[in-house]
Amino acid sequence: MSAVLEKAPPAERTEGERRSWAAVFALARFEARELLLRAPVLFMFVLYAAWIGWSMRDAWTTYPALQDVDRLTQNGPLLPALAVLLCANQAVLRSRRQDTDRHFDVLVLEPWRRTVAFALSVLPAVALTALFVAAQFTWGVLAPGSVGHGSVGELLVGPLTVLLAGSAGVLLARVVRSAFAAPMLLVLAFFSILFLGAVPGNSDGSATRWLVPVIGDASTKTLPSDLLGRPAAWHALYLAGLALTLALAAVLVNGGRTKTVAAALVVAVGLGTWGAVGQAGKVPAATVAARLVATVNPAKVQPCARHGHSTYCAFPEWMPRTGTWAKVTDNVQSLAGGTAAQEKLLVRQRVDARYGMDGDGAIEPSTVPYQVTVGTRWGGPRVPEFAAAVSSVLVTGSEKATSSLCDGRMVTIMWLALAWQSDPLAELRTVRLDDSVTGSAIVLSPTNPMSMTSEQTTVVRELFTAGKSAIAPKVKAHWAELTAPKVTTAKVAQLLGVKAPTGADKCE
Amino acid sequence: MRTRASAQLVGPVLRALPRRALGAGAAAGLVLAALPRLLSTHPDPWMALLLLRGAALAFALGLTFLLDDPARHVTAAVPTRRMVRGALRTALVAPFAALWWTAAVLLIPAQVRPPVGDITLEAAAAAVVALAASATAIRLTEEAEPGQRVAITLLATSMAAALLLPQHWGLFATPKEKWWSPGHQHWALILAGAAVVWAACGPEPIRRRGFFATRSAKISPSTG
Repeated sequence: MSAVLEKAPPAERTEGERRSWAAVFALARFEARELLLRAPVLFMFVLYAAWIGWSMRDAWTTYPALQDVDRLTQNGPLLPALAVLLCANQAVLRSRRQDTDRHFDVLVLEPWRRTVAFALSVLPAVALTALFVAAQFTWGVLAPGSVGHGSVGELLVGPLTVLLAGSAGVLLARVVRSAFAAPMLLVLAFFSILFLGAVPGNSDGSATRWLVPVIGDASTKTLPSDLLGRPAAWHALYLAGLALTLALAAVLVNGGRTKTVAAALVVAVGLGTWGAVGQAGKVPAATVAARLVATVNPAKVQPCARHGHSTYCAFPEWMPRTGTWAKVTDNVQSLAGGTAAQEKLLVRQRVDARYGMDGDGAIEPSTVPYQVTVGTRWGGPRVPEFAAAVSSVLVTGSEKATSSLCDGRMVTIMWLALAWQSDPLAELRTVRLDDSVTGSAIVLSPTNPMSMTSEQTTVVRELFTAGKSAIAPKVKAHWAELTAPKVTTAKVAQLLGVKAPTGADKCE
Repeated sequence: MRTRASAQLVGPVLRALPRRALGAGAAAGLVLAALPRLLSTHPDPWMALLLLRGAALAFALGLTFLLDDPARHVTAAVPTRRMVRGALRTALVAPFAALWWTAAVLLIPAQVRPPVGDITLEAAAAAVVALAASATAIRLTEEAEPGQRVAITLLATSMAAALLLPQHWGLFATPKEKWWSPGHQHWALILAGAAVVWAACGPEPIRRRGFFATRSAKISPSTG
């Protein structure tokens, strides 16, 4: 004590000021370490890491779009946010619980500076969350075949949620000094938000919808990043403003009524309000117009590339994927006979972007001859679906002609689409809506689905059993008969040399 | 003799109850259960189930403070064993809890109310788990008021469990799902297990400075 007095000339105000800030940072460092080492926080971070691993487990095979991956990073940080809120709250209340509050009266550090230190102590947890988010996003970027662009605004939501939670915990401890307030209020807030979120009637353009930290989407489709129309940057600004406001309010109610704090609080409230107003706005007219163009007349915005016989037009972000599509098209076309084997196809990427992420719309089949539609997703069942679209266009001439298809040509379509795959039967299972390989079923495709009768399914299965090398020459030899309209399934089976089914074609 | 001692204890124990924490839990639960009526919307059964579970969780969080005793290190020396005092506290709260749960269930509109017996089992299990957790905290540490710590753990655990537990365990199933009835067998198991833990952790530990002694325990007055 005496040593301190000797060294510090009490008259010098700036020196004392600097020293108390040094004390603030020292306390913040200590509290940050305590916070990160608390069991609930550690547990939740471990859980969060596991969640990242689980949610990204098949990123390597599903060709992620980065404008989806950035939004995927937002839900996980709610786990550490929960623990940080509760533990920051408990840390502020620790001195009260252990009855050491009055000891602080003799220290040079005023109570409000202690609050500043507690607010700062959350930052390492925020930084750790940012690291996790960055790791998750990087995983998506590194995944083979990933396309698109992430948004910094969407990526910031995770760390800012943790910051918001920490500030809320500190403020809560300064306003309500009881140990049970934080868990109770958290439960109350969590379930009321869930309940209010589920009350219908506030879907489109609602300003209040964006007030919660993480906003999901009604639709799960993938859109080009410039058509999303999510006010991501505004929302990040809103969250940052709100977190700052809460932290500064905690300082203010704790006696830190200095001009700097008041000015900073005004700025923070301004930032939060600015963000809230910005995110509440309608989708910009330019985006709405661009969505319409992209849906109705995609040719205007899509560059094209040539691979082999065919041309591939896609939204600019998907151009790197055209080569992958070309492989599938070439494989399917190599099995076809007649003129279809040399036909110049136009593969065009189409998506219904009119409703943004608020709703889905079906894409109408294209009426243009030899034009095939491909969607914005790839990997898994999307591959055989696209292959079925290609083969149906090769057999019938256009997508539109496929929609009313109800005869033996379906057998040829499905064989062309799947026979080149290493395990055609497994692919048949994934492309059918009910995941079956027997009986009748709906076959998915990027536009309208097709239907297979149970007889057609049996014939297709037998063709796969016979093997590609046995069937391929027969398909090429009988191409004209196989693709003639009204050909029966029995006739197709006979032409290809497998057992003909007894029943007649009956479509449902 | 013992019954007379217990009867004499009723007054002091009643005064020592953490009424504010219990009241806050009950109030939060009632607010949640009242939401469908307050907002006069048409809630779906799933939402009603969720709100009732939220209410049960809120009340369970209140119960984690039930065994908090600021004077723990002093009362350790009184002749009435801690198990008796703890049981008395629970017994005093039990009728209030039953009344509260009835009110919460009745607040949910009848047409969307989940099966009352099953949801009551869930609420009872949550309550007993809360009591068992706080009894364990008291048994294994020297903290006088572990309530907040236990509440945070319970909250974090329940959220993580709702998120992570496999669906076929059925703990958080909806009545229409096929996992509803095995789920409630699991709830009954949890209830039984928690009750056993609670009973086992009832007595005052004979030896102090256990395995899990916390830092706060080291500076607490009783160690001197």
